[in-house]
Amino acid sequence: MKHLCIIFRRAPHGTAHGREALDLAMLSASFEQQITLIFADEGVLNLISEQQPELVGARDYIATFKALPLYDIEDVLVCNDSLTEFGLKRSVLNIDAQVVSAETITARLREADEVLVF
Amino acid sequence: MSKFIIQVNGSVYGNSAGYHACRFARAALESGHQVIRVFFYQDGVTHSNSLLAPASDEFNQYDQWCQLAEQYSIELVNCVSAALRRGMLSAQEASENQQAHWNVTAPFTMGGLGELVTGIEQADRLICF
Repeated sequence: MKHLCIIFRRAPHGTAHGREALDLAMLSASFEQQITLIFADEGVLNLISEQQPELVGARDYIATFKALPLYDIEDVLVCNDSLTEFGLKRSVLNIDAQVVSAETITARLREADEVLVF
Repeated sequence: MSKFIIQVNGSVYGNSAGYHACRFARAALESGHQVIRVFFYQDGVTHSNSLLAPASDEFNQYDQWCQLAEQYSIELVNCVSAALRRGMLSAQEASENQQAHWNVTAPFTMGGLGELVTGIEQADRLICF
């Protein structure tokens, strides 16, 4: 078992990065890896509730974030600086995640075996 | 000596990801390291397109992968879901999807994300491009 950190850095829907990051996260968890998800920069926008991606021809993978606990993915970190940058409060997040400092994220990356950035 | 798994996420054209990935793989192998496989995900699956036809005086990334695979018996594995979304089909997927044509042939093969994850487990280090 390895500890994988998967970082969401890009906004959803404009590219497929977020969706393919989530696919990898769930698949890795089902292969019994230890998974940490980190949302930073524009990646925090993945977690805003009440999105309607179908209106721009995109698949609604956002709803799938709610299934993370079923895959035993419970280590989910959101960068507080990034939320602040976008004027977002933690109440807009559609899943149960820890809002943390950049230092906490740095520490978690040091613990990981591998880091995958999307 | 280390065991590497290489992941390619960038498109075959207009992106230097494949060039650097291929150079890294070759350098690692020439130095006696092991490369478990090269795994193509996201737009990286476009590297497996056998119909790529750049001008004769242009760099041909597809040929570089084929040479690497032949010389070192390296597995070149696509994520099949990522590939299907981007119109990259082997003969089998073409048949399953009632398509008359396909564009993915040996040395590239279709696999699942599981092959990336099991590769990461076996490897000392994952390198993403």
